Amino acid sequence: MKMKTILLAALAAAALSSASYAEDKKTVAYIAPSLDISYWQWVGYGVKEKAKELGMDYVEYTSENSPAKQMDNARTAVTKGVSAIVIGPVSSTSTPPLLDYLAKQKVPIAFAGIGPQPGLTNYTSSVTANNYETGKAQAKFTCELAKERGSKKVGMLSLPQDRENAQKYLKGAKEAFAAAGCDLVQMLETRGLTISEAVTQANDLLTANPDIKAIYGMYDEAGTGAAKVVETRGLNGKIGITVADGSPTTIALLKKGAIQGIFFQEAVGQGIDGTQQVYNALTGAPVTQDMALVMPLVTADKVDSPEAKKVIARVFPPSN
Amino acid sequence: MTDATNGTTTTNKLRTTRFRVPAVLFSYRTEVAIAAAIVVLLLAVGMFVPAALSMGNLQNIIQAAAPLIIMSLGVLLVVVTGGIDLSVGSVFSLTGMVTALAMASGADGLTASAAGLAVGLVFGSINGLLVTVVGLAPFVVTLITYAVAGSLAFIVTNGRSMPIGAPDFWLLNSGEIIPGIPNHLLFCIVLMVALEYVLRKVVVGRWFYAVGSSAIAARLLGIPVLRIKFAAYVASSLLASFAGLLTVSYILNAEATAGASLMLQAIAAVVIGGASLFGGTGSAIGAVLGALMITCIQNGVNLIGVNSFWQGSVTGAAILLAVLIDRFSNKNRI
Repeated sequence: MKMKTILLAALAAAALSSASYAEDKKTVAYIAPSLDISYWQWVGYGVKEKAKELGMDYVEYTSENSPAKQMDNARTAVTKGVSAIVIGPVSSTSTPPLLDYLAKQKVPIAFAGIGPQPGLTNYTSSVTANNYETGKAQAKFTCELAKERGSKKVGMLSLPQDRENAQKYLKGAKEAFAAAGCDLVQMLETRGLTISEAVTQANDLLTANPDIKAIYGMYDEAGTGAAKVVETRGLNGKIGITVADGSPTTIALLKKGAIQGIFFQEAVGQGIDGTQQVYNALTGAPVTQDMALVMPLVTADKVDSPEAKKVIARVFPPSN
Repeated sequence: MTDATNGTTTTNKLRTTRFRVPAVLFSYRTEVAIAAAIVVLLLAVGMFVPAALSMGNLQNIIQAAAPLIIMSLGVLLVVVTGGIDLSVGSVFSLTGMVTALAMASGADGLTASAAGLAVGLVFGSINGLLVTVVGLAPFVVTLITYAVAGSLAFIVTNGRSMPIGAPDFWLLNSGEIIPGIPNHLLFCIVLMVALEYVLRKVVVGRWFYAVGSSAIAARLLGIPVLRIKFAAYVASSLLASFAGLLTVSYILNAEATAGASLMLQAIAAVVIGGASLFGGTGSAIGAVLGALMITCIQNGVNLIGVNSFWQGSVTGAAILLAVLIDRFSNKNRI
């Protein structure tokens, strides 16, 4: 009987100690729309590193581009007892039921990369790129490149225009092109987001419009594809190329002079900032609900500067 | 009324003996119709964008079509035997990643290419063994290998795209073994001619049609059905790997998602080219023309500036048209 009492007491103590540890050790879940894409892996890296720094555990889920799977992931995370969620949603429109559920569960949630549906307020924080302003800045720079090369005609390799961020990029770009006096003669939208497709589209763009003097790449592979085509056609330097996002591949092309400017999207930085915001919510510190990060421009002549290196550190992990 | 040994008809044979030249054209009537459709398509696009008919654009089309052509030739062999290969897109991607990874580890271009082709050999053998020895349905088997190869393409480099370091690797795609003919075009021509010859003129080639028309009848005739099917899956994966190598050589970059859209396009190309998914019919020339047709549609849509989301609808319409032409031409013959 005495032995049984001691055992029960030990078990109870262990359970209490484990519960108290779980209460102290917070866990952040990162729900990615699809971990096939480098960008979302890099956001995850930012979440993981910041979680480590803040003493939090980290778990990740992938929604495989399915809103239903995204909802399942959120439920699983809550069931497992996570303290907070950082999410790259499948789409903005998929977020209302998710936010309703998490609000009921009192789990703070930060968005990274893609924000919630406009009009919603029941989220902790949204850390996104300022696509509209970036669209304007990139178009202005692209137009300058075209004019330097003796023409006002520019082409664009775009993300699919059913995406909200692509629409914002385009809106900003069109306004800036008009203001700077450049003509956007053709825009082709990607479907597969691959370099091969971008090569084909850049070729078609230049075949249909041989007088284009600059190409605006709205995503990283577009810049790589356009650079390949310009090089193959022997037009190095005669057609300017700008690109949004940034990766080791496009940085190498920037250094070679095949691309003239990259507007970096801080994937790692979005993960870091999102995690900081949910941590603030958990600890009662002030929270910034909407953070639209400016996408800084880095040109070939400045790519090795300390400022540029600081920017690049917030774009992709050092192992890349 | 299909002749199980070569996929042509008895009527066709009679015509061949009486009027040799027209009969050859008649036996390739689907291919001639597709070729004519491609010419009409190019001319129509050329009315909007004259540069569509320039030599530069035609070279672009051939360059863009080359990987799809090579992959379609492999898929054709499987389809002719009455099977299906859904794994080719993933094998294509994995080949690129393995090749790039081998180069990053210090291998030269030749060794890295061999490593890439080994992917095709391994996955083709797995497909072939599971279909022939284990007796699983081709759809299920290749769906599994599609998933596994696709997953491995991400695992081997943790999802990162890989630049190609070897300075001369571009020669595989864009070099010229025969002066004036870029290698990608040469490979397409050689593979198409060789495959068409084997399928039409060599006994083993005819066995592929026989197996696709009726595996039971073929077995009774003493045709090694399982070996033919195994060979078809190995050839399909090897050609998908080779197409992956060519693409990596062209863009000097390997991506884990590179082949994602190609599998359906390759099957579509084969069907547009006159092959039946029930097996027993199809030609290498038809598959090549089918791949060219798909690429020309994509090129035309881009040149004219039509929203690229329409490409799928236009390709679907082209497949429907090809199938209807084939159906009615067969009906008329009977």
